[in-house]
Amino acid sequence: MASALQPYNQDPNGAYVFSSRPRPAPTRLKYKDPAVIQNEESYVYGNIMYDRRVVRGNTYAQHTLPLRSQPDPAELKKQQEARRRALARKRAKEQFRLLTPEAPEGRKHKDVQTELYLEELSDHPEDASMGCQTDAFLDEPATPLFIPAKSGKDVATQIEEGELFYFDTEVQPVLEVLIGKTMEQALLEVLEEEELASLRAQQRAFQELRNAEIVEVQRLEEQERRHREEKVRRLKQQREVLENERVIAEKIAARVFAQQYLADLLPSVYNTLRDQGYFYDPVQRDIETGFLPWLMTEVDSALKKREIVLTMLDTLIYDVANSRQET
Amino acid sequence: MAGSRISEQLPPLIDRNQSPLAFGQRALPRLAAELQNPELTVRQGALAALRDLIHDPERAYETIYHGCLERLKVLLKDEDSSIRTATTEVLYLLTAHSVGREAILREDVVGCLSELLDEPVDACRRNTHLVLKMMSGFPAGVACMVSLGLVPRLVMKVAAETEDIRELVLSTLGSCMRVDTQAAQAALASDVVTVLREQLTHSSTNIRREATAAMIAISVPPQGKVKVCEEEVLPVLVQLLSDEDLEIKANAAGTIMNTAVITKGKFQSLQAGALAPLLHLVECEHRAVCANALRALTCLAEVPRAREQLLQHLPLLQTRLNHPEPIIQRASATAIQVISWTP
Repeated sequence: MASALQPYNQDPNGAYVFSSRPRPAPTRLKYKDPAVIQNEESYVYGNIMYDRRVVRGNTYAQHTLPLRSQPDPAELKKQQEARRRALARKRAKEQFRLLTPEAPEGRKHKDVQTELYLEELSDHPEDASMGCQTDAFLDEPATPLFIPAKSGKDVATQIEEGELFYFDTEVQPVLEVLIGKTMEQALLEVLEEEELASLRAQQRAFQELRNAEIVEVQRLEEQERRHREEKVRRLKQQREVLENERVIAEKIAARVFAQQYLADLLPSVYNTLRDQGYFYDPVQRDIETGFLPWLMTEVDSALKKREIVLTMLDTLIYDVANSRQET
Repeated sequence: MAGSRISEQLPPLIDRNQSPLAFGQRALPRLAAELQNPELTVRQGALAALRDLIHDPERAYETIYHGCLERLKVLLKDEDSSIRTATTEVLYLLTAHSVGREAILREDVVGCLSELLDEPVDACRRNTHLVLKMMSGFPAGVACMVSLGLVPRLVMKVAAETEDIRELVLSTLGSCMRVDTQAAQAALASDVVTVLREQLTHSSTNIRREATAAMIAISVPPQGKVKVCEEEVLPVLVQLLSDEDLEIKANAAGTIMNTAVITKGKFQSLQAGALAPLLHLVECEHRAVCANALRALTCLAEVPRAREQLLQHLPLLQTRLNHPEPIIQRASATAIQVISWTP
């Protein structure tokens, strides 16, 4: 069944061509040799009705071949069992058949050596050794080349140049691939490196510019700061100067005013004091404060005395007058 | 016959040390699972594969999406030094993409990295510093580094590290100070100016270049200027104005111009004799050198004594007015204006 697939043959006309034509099975002629049949070209077709290979008759009691080419596993097992049983039986029979017959009753088997003396079989045949050795260092003459007799037909074949392939055209795509691949790889690597290098160069250029600009910015800042500080300082100085001047002017004005104000202070003070009597002649004051009051009091007392005297006199006179009157 | 369409995928690379990649979307989850494997060789293979994958931005995004950063953080503390080196390398490749940088900030990987600063293995330390350098390029990264207190530690590392790593540390410090003023404050507090001054006289050109770049960054804030004056850096800078490397000259002139903004700086620069070299540098063709020199002269010209001297060199400055670069034109115009100013 598993026959090798034969190559698909196609007739030049397009019709299908058998590789082995189907043919009816030949019958075996009874009374002819097989050798004769082989030489015959035409086949003898037999009648199918009289072919012994065809099954005839009722089929329900036939001994049929097994369905598959291998025997049925159940059948196989049965056969194996039968075989095994036969073997066992044979082995059992073997066991029962002793090599020597059993000793009859009353007797016993015993091993015995019949010879009195054991003799070593030392019957060596006479032997003689012979040696033979070829001459060791004789050079063998060159054996003639063994050329076997020629048999069969000589056939030669030779592949001429240009029959299998044309190298120049065939190698082109291979070379293209190889070289192209290598170049592509190399190009990629070089591109990568160039890209990196240009990135770095750009970075460096940027850094340089940045440095220069930073320093410019810082310098200007510094300058600005210095100028500003200078300005602030100068302004402060100027303000201080102005302040000083103002203070001085005020002082001067105040001084002048004070001077003016105080110019006629002194006379007025003196006048006031004099008016209030702080300047006095001590003798006069003493006279005024001491003497004159005393004088006045004395005068007063003197006058009072006088008055009293006069009053007394008056009363006396009155009394006298009264008394005179009464009398 | 081979077709001539070139496939999108890279040719298959058979590296025995790499673990094999699963197909398509399954590749990264599998690698992520392999990273947790207790076997050393498996982890190494996974890291090697990841290192090659992560160059592609799509893959980098996928890595972050599948949470590989957590595993990488754990691997940073691994005992084997080759694992740590490979992990830091992967992180460095990740910082090349912006999603990577954001994710690193989000997952706080910088904290774990800072523990690796004292790592004995050189390669691992180098990669760590590379990552930090990439992270210091933008403000959020610098803010993160300042909050973790990395700036003082980096300042201390400058003197202690080997040459090539010292370059990286100096460049990291420079970018930090340039980007964020808080970083500059923190650095000033740890005496960065003293440290940088020692590096200014180093024999290697790269180190001097990075040191001068950091100097110019630190002299931008006002406290930095004061510090630069205090530490007597200006004489060294004037010497560097005659250095061979153009960038070093530009940076030295830049630092002088920054410091000369304050009065003390002006006087110190004049004392150190900065005028003559600066005038010489004005003639240079390199844009940065010329611009910085012009700006420095502008700042110094605010001192009357310098102004007298510079009045004699006005013609030289006037030749610079016709330069094609706008910045140089402006700088020379300002310089001439300041020099010719009378009270």
